[in-house]
Parts: sequence; C-alpha cells; structure tokens
Amino acid sequence: MPDVKVSNLHKMFGDNVVLDNVDFTIKDGEFFTLLGPSGCGKSTTLNCIAGLEQPTSGAIAVGDTAFVDTDKKLFVPPEGRNLGMVFQSYALWPHKTIAANLAMPLQIRKVDKAQQRHLIDEALDKVGLLHLRERYPHQLSGGQQQRVALARALVYSPNVLLLDEPLSNLDAKLREQARAWLKRLQTDLGITTVYVTHDQDEALALSDRIAVMSHGHMIQVGTPTEIYETPATADVAAFVGRCNFLEATVTDTSPSGIAVKLAANGQQMAVETPEKVSVGDQVTVAVRPEKLNVLPADDVAMPGTNVISAEVLTTSYLGSRFEYDLKVGDHVVQVVNDRGGLAGPVNLSVDPDACLVYTQADVLSEDAQALLTVSH
Amino acid sequence: MTTTTTSPRRSDSPPAPGAYPAPRYRRVLGQGREVLLHWAVIILLAVLVLAPVVPTLYQSLLDRPLYEAGGVLSLDNYAKLFTEAGFGKVMLNTVLFAGLTTVLTLAIAVPMAVVVVRTKIPGGRILAAAMQWPFFISSLILGFGWITMYGPAGFVSVQVRQVLGVVPWNLYSIPGMALTEAVALAPIAYTFCAGALRQSDASLESAAQVCGAGPLRILFQVILPMLRPPIVYSSILVISMSVETLSVPLLYGQPANIQVFSTFLYRNGLQSINPDYGILGAASALILLVTISLVAVQAKLLKDAQRFVSVRGKATRPRKLDLGWLKWISLIAIVFYVVMGAFIPIAGLIFRSFTLVFSPLQSPLKTLSAANYDRIFSYAAYIQSIKNSLIVAAVGAVLVSVVALLAVMMARRSNFRYRRAAEYLALAPQAMPGIIVGIGLFWAFAYAPFGIGTFIQGSLWALIIGFGLRALPSGFGSLAPSVMQIGQELDNAARVSGADWIKTFTMILAKLLTPAFAGALVLTFVTMLKEYSPAVFLGSADTNIIGTTMLELWVQGNTGSVAALASIQIAITAAFVGLAGLFLKGHNKDA
Repeated sequence: MPDVKVSNLHKMFGDNVVLDNVDFTIKDGEFFTLLGPSGCGKSTTLNCIAGLEQPTSGAIAVGDTAFVDTDKKLFVPPEGRNLGMVFQSYALWPHKTIAANLAMPLQIRKVDKAQQRHLIDEALDKVGLLHLRERYPHQLSGGQQQRVALARALVYSPNVLLLDEPLSNLDAKLREQARAWLKRLQTDLGITTVYVTHDQDEALALSDRIAVMSHGHMIQVGTPTEIYETPATADVAAFVGRCNFLEATVTDTSPSGIAVKLAANGQQMAVETPEKVSVGDQVTVAVRPEKLNVLPADDVAMPGTNVISAEVLTTSYLGSRFEYDLKVGDHVVQVVNDRGGLAGPVNLSVDPDACLVYTQADVLSEDAQALLTVSH
Repeated sequence: MTTTTTSPRRSDSPPAPGAYPAPRYRRVLGQGREVLLHWAVIILLAVLVLAPVVPTLYQSLLDRPLYEAGGVLSLDNYAKLFTEAGFGKVMLNTVLFAGLTTVLTLAIAVPMAVVVVRTKIPGGRILAAAMQWPFFISSLILGFGWITMYGPAGFVSVQVRQVLGVVPWNLYSIPGMALTEAVALAPIAYTFCAGALRQSDASLESAAQVCGAGPLRILFQVILPMLRPPIVYSSILVISMSVETLSVPLLYGQPANIQVFSTFLYRNGLQSINPDYGILGAASALILLVTISLVAVQAKLLKDAQRFVSVRGKATRPRKLDLGWLKWISLIAIVFYVVMGAFIPIAGLIFRSFTLVFSPLQSPLKTLSAANYDRIFSYAAYIQSIKNSLIVAAVGAVLVSVVALLAVMMARRSNFRYRRAAEYLALAPQAMPGIIVGIGLFWAFAYAPFGIGTFIQGSLWALIIGFGLRALPSGFGSLAPSVMQIGQELDNAARVSGADWIKTFTMILAKLLTPAFAGALVLTFVTMLKEYSPAVFLGSADTNIIGTTMLELWVQGNTGSVAALASIQIAITAAFVGLAGLFLKGHNKDA
C-alpha cells in the first residue's frame, strides 16, 4: 500500500490563512492522526487529501499518483482518487438501504452484480452488521450507523481510509468500545488511515503517529509517547493531556539543569531541561498533574526532588484516584494522586526531570487563567 | 450494541487496494463535465434576465423606436419625461401609494403576528392558516372583489348608503388603493414577523416574566424590539411590491384618473395610439432603478438579519402570554381583517358570478343563473384563454422548476467560479415589475437574432418566458432551503465514493429533492396561473389568458363574466393545490 505525501500545503479563505505550510508523510499501513482544537485546520487538511477542498498551493500524492500539484495545475477531483472516507455525521444516504448504500460505489465502478453482493456481504460481515443489510439508516443506532459508514468506505478496497471524527457522535461508553474495535479492524486490514479528531485520548489510544495542529500549523509530529512525554511546545502540552503551567524566572544555570524562582510564591526549584536559557529569563515550567506528588506538610520528601509548599483547596474523589486543587501562592495547581484525605498545608514534590521548560508561552486562555488564580 | 466488542472478522482473500479503481469521467479542458452544464445554465440565466433589461435601458437613451434605423443616443427622453409627460404627479402618487400601503400593511401584520404567535388566542392555528389566502387569489381578483363589494356601486356600499344616506369612503382614491393593496400584502409581512417570533428564544420572555414584568410590558419591551429586523425587511419588500403592482392601481386609478408608475406605463405603452417608446423606456429604466435598489437593500438586510438568528434546531416551545380581555378584542380585529378584507370580497365575487344583477336593492337570488358561465363557455376565445392559462402555467412550472433547481444546485452545491452570480441572476427578476418584463421582452423579441423573435412574439412561448422569468425567484426561493437542508456530507460521501458532480445528483440528490421539486412545481404553477401583467404587452389576440381576458371584459363593463372567470381561476388553483396536497401527502411539504 502506498505512502501519503503532503507537501507545503497552504490554504487561504480570503485573507484568512487556514493552513500554513503543512508538510508530512504517512507511511504505508500507518494509523496517522491529525489532532487539534476546532478551527486548527485538521479537517481542512483531511478534505484536501480527499479532494473536497482545493489547497491554495502545495502538493498531495498517494504512492506514485499525484492528486494535487498546484505548480503543475493538477487537481484530481475526489471521485478520481479512490479513497474511502467516513464522515462525522456518517453521511449515510437516507433513502437507500444499508446494502444499497454499500452498492453505490460498486455500481459506479461497474462491478458485476454477483461480485457486488459478495463484496457487500463481506464488508458488512467485517463490521458485524450482515443481519441488517436490508434496513434503512434511520432504523439503526448511532453505533451501527457509524459501522455501516465504515463498511461503505471499505467495500471498494480504497487506497487510503480517511476518518473525520467518526466517533464524536457516540456516547462516552460506546465511544471507548468503538475505539478499541476500530483499532483492531485497522490493524487487521493494514490499510493506511488518516484520522481527524479533537479528542486527545482517542488520538493517543489509536494512533501510530500523531500530528498536533494549531492555527493552521503543524506543531509536532510523533508517536503518542513522544507527544505526551516531550511536547514540543507549551501549546502541545496544554492540548494533549492536562498540564500545570507556572511562571518563573531563571536564577541559575548549570550543565545539568537550571534553577528557577516561581512567580507564584517565590520558591526556588531545580529543573532539568535541554532548553537554552540564561539567568534572568522569564520561562514557563510545565508539569503534568500525575507527575506531582502531594505529601503531608510534615513528611520528608525524597532527596533530590523539589519541594513546594502548598495548601489544599479542594479534593475530588474520582474512584480510582484523587484529584486535588492546590494553592501555590496565588496560583492553582492540579494534582492527581492515589492518596486521599489530605487537607490544609501540604508539600508538593516533583522530580527535576519531570518538568518541562518553555521559554515563551502564552498557553492559557484568559478565562482559564482567571479560574486558576486565587485571591488571597 | 453487543457486537461492538466482537473482533472484526478476517476475510478469506481481501481484494488488493485499488482492485476496483474509480471510473474515469470525461473531462472538458481539465474540468469535470458538469462545468459544461454550469456554463449552459448561467448563460441561459444571464440571457433571460438581461433580455428585458438591456433593450429597456437602450430604448431609454434612443430618440426613436428601437427597431427604426438611425437612432441617436441622448438623454432627451429623461428630460421629456420630467417636463412634459406629467411624470412628477405620477411619482408623487406612487410615493403616496407605496408609503400608505406600507404603513397600513405593517399596522395589520405586526400586531397580528404578535397576537397569533406569542399570545394565547382562541383558534390561533386556524388564523395562521387563514393568512395563506393570497396564495390562491391574485391581487387582480381581489381588486375585482373589493370593487364588487365596496366600490361606489358595490353591494356593501349601496347597503351602507341606504342606512346612512352616504358612503363614508371612496374606494377610487389613493387611500382606497392603499388599503386594498395592504390587505393583499399583509400576509407577506405577517409571514416574516411570525417567522422571526417563532425563531426567537422564548426564554427571553420567561426571563422578563421572572423579573416581574407583566404581559403588556413584555410585549412592548421584549417582543416588539425583536421584531425590528423583520419589520424593516418586510417594509422594503412591501414598498417594492406596491411600486410594481398593476392590478389595484389599474382598476381603481383609471376611473378616478390617478396614475402611478405602473399605470403610467400601461397607459403610455398600450392605450395611446402612438406610443412614445423613448418615454416608455426612460420611465421603465427609472422604475427598474428604484426596484433594484430596494431589492438590493433588502438582500443586504436579510443577509445581516440572518446573523441574528442564533437559535437553531433547539425546540424551545414558546410560552404564550395571556392578554386577558384584550385577547377577545384582538381576535375580533383579526377576524374582521380576514372576513372583511378577503372573505367577503371573494365570496361576493363568486356569488356575483352566479347572478345577473348584484345589488342589495333586489335580491340577487331572484336572478340566480349560470348565464355568466354560459357566456364564457360559448365563446371560443374565452375558452381558449382558460386553456392558454393552463398551458402557460403547466409548461412554465416545469421549465421554471427545472431551471431553478439547476440554479440552486449550482449556487449552493458546486465549486463553479460564478456560482454566486447564478444566485443573483435567479433572484434578480424580483426587482423587475411584470409590466416592465413585458415591455422589455417585447423589445427583446423584436431585436432577437435568427428570426427567433418572430417565432416567439405573439405565441404562448412569449408568455411562458415572461411569466417564467417572474416566477423564477419563487422557484429558487422554495428550492434553496430544501437543498441546504441536505447535509453537504451526503454529497461529499458520494464524491469520495467515486461519483462525479452529475452522478452525485442523479444517484443521490435527485431522489432526496423530489418532494421539494414537487413543492416548487405547485408553487410556480399557482404563481404563473395568477400572473398576467407581462401579458399586457406580450399577449396577442390568440394568446389571451384568464387575466387579460378579465381585464378586457372589465373594460367592457361585463362584470358578471369577470366574476365567472375569476371564480374559475380560483377553482382551478384550489383544485390543483388540493390534488397536489393529496399527492404529496406524507412528504409534509407545504408549498
């Protein structure tokens, strides 16, 4: 199966830059996810691959076949690309039965009747809905519709499968099951898949690689682990998973790490970072809630860890764990911990290598900022 | 949902990707084949819309009739129009008529919309349905009806004179014209206001109620301010419609010698022995300028107004206010409007068609007869005019609906470069008064190349083109929302599956749009059956239609036959709409 190569994609709507120099290659058989908040350009990218939108400039090719090349004024319309696509609303044709929905692409391809029946049954069997072949879309549940849409996208063995937030209309429980099922199906078929979602959990669970997008830019491309553990920018850290951001000033630099002074309460903290900074720089220290540890105020922290004094504001019991909102100076810090029942003054401990340092970051919306600030 | 967790089954021998490649479609100059169709449609639209406009503008600048050789371009016609032709008085009358009509229309429509939609009123549903009446009845017929009942010798007027000694009103005056026109146009303004009220969020009122506001305070401080956009919008619509209307000014204004724009054109173009085409062209050009700018403003406002419609989809059931004793007064007022404005004139007209003498002085029941109908059906020319009306409406409805569907598909569902232009062209005839469409096309046919003109001129095709052009915006307007309701993703799914634009339409959208198309057919059929003003210029002795025949009979003083023809037209409309309703049942489509 071929690679998908997207190079230097630009898209403008009027003066509005929707995609700016988007460039990536999806390997054969890979499950590739475009992740980002709404309006980041991920769906536009997918639609450009599908041919539903024309990029302002750039090139897209699958294997040796060029789909778009604005330099050569080449544009293959969607019907000429032989791709399979599942839409957010499933887009099942309401006046056709399930079987007729699947038959349409085959009729267009002039596949003979017997073979059509065979392929339709096979595709429906794959998604476990063979018994519903004569039903109409509105007679199916959301989950079933989603699987029919997938069967319709696969029935003609397309080169690449495009999925536009296919799970977002399912309820939470079903979404998790469908996610696991989709992953197995994709692995079994080995089809190159491009997946668009704004749900980071979905992206982390499903993907071989993730591309994080924001404001039309592709900020980081990497495996789920890379994206989560070493986010390239504060944007990515904020979007993928939860993260605490603390403003700080650099007070000392050494080859092994740096020391910073937190703006929230003036405490010192040691941080390991590859980032090049010098004394006096303003930086943002990012720490994931699960990397922080809460200790009763009189407990002794492990040597070599930073200890920050804090005060418990609220505790939420989430069943498998506890979530704390702690007050550090005028700042709220979120911590996830196994240990419940803490109240009043506590100590926060964090390993120097669990922190990420960003030199410039303006990641939190003003609303979020206001919610995370406490008055004295 | 038990199967979600089962493992996807492996197939024995999955076909390789690309085993069934997408078909190749014929390409035209590197573009899909639909581009040819798009060009064809936009050229057709452009020719249709420009055909009446360009000759009119040209004629307005020409010192002799269009078809005479050696014409010289000048602005003399405009100068003459304002100095000699008495056009100043005409403009004044038009402004008075349009202004008064607008005020009266709003005075009827706005309170009615508020009362029916937002307050508890007995029979609210029936009242809302009753506002649909102008769909069945043309303003020409309404005019006949009003004269029959409230005219100087009308049934009601005579009755009143017997009681009071005088008739306290004069129908043949600008206020009389405006009142009739306002009664006819009120349902349009009502529709806009009622629509806005239904869409607006009911929780706004609940919020006011919680704050302790009484029903009247809510009415004036919450509901009425929300109505500002539809009021402005429908005023402009009503102004432009009263500028272009011919029926009422012609029927009322002729005897009293009150001329407005449209009757000025009618008289100068048709009734004068030696029509001055230059003046006709200049006057038409001016009216076009007025109506086009009004429609442009209205389009701009509607675009902006849509931005304010934030509540969508979520069905908030409006909590209706209780007006107490005021509701009975409102009810009486609304019933008075419907009964006096529409029901009595129309019922009177129908009754008139079955009697020979229609006056309270002698019981009309004494002269009950079918003689009026006998006369209609004993003259071939009258029968022919009914047939012509049906042919024009039927052929026209199909053609207009097809063109409108193509235009909507292109404007809303294609990447064609000039798709916005298609929409503007399809909606442009809104700004073209029927009588100007008639004059303009008349000149256009005189000018058309390859002898097309002589073939079309004086044939039913001329009427089909003229009426069709006028009905095109309604067709477009009724189809566009239906197309927009079909999610773009359904098209996209078909495209990705391998269907090109045309196949996507034939395989997916055609079926989904069938009910909407049927609705457009009904709407355009009824619209074209009622239409007559372009025929004033485009018709010939052989191509009279019901409307022009009625006018002819009216001038002859043959009111009984007019009433009979009007009743026939109403009956055809009602029968057609009824049949269509039965046929379309289940699709829940109100045309």
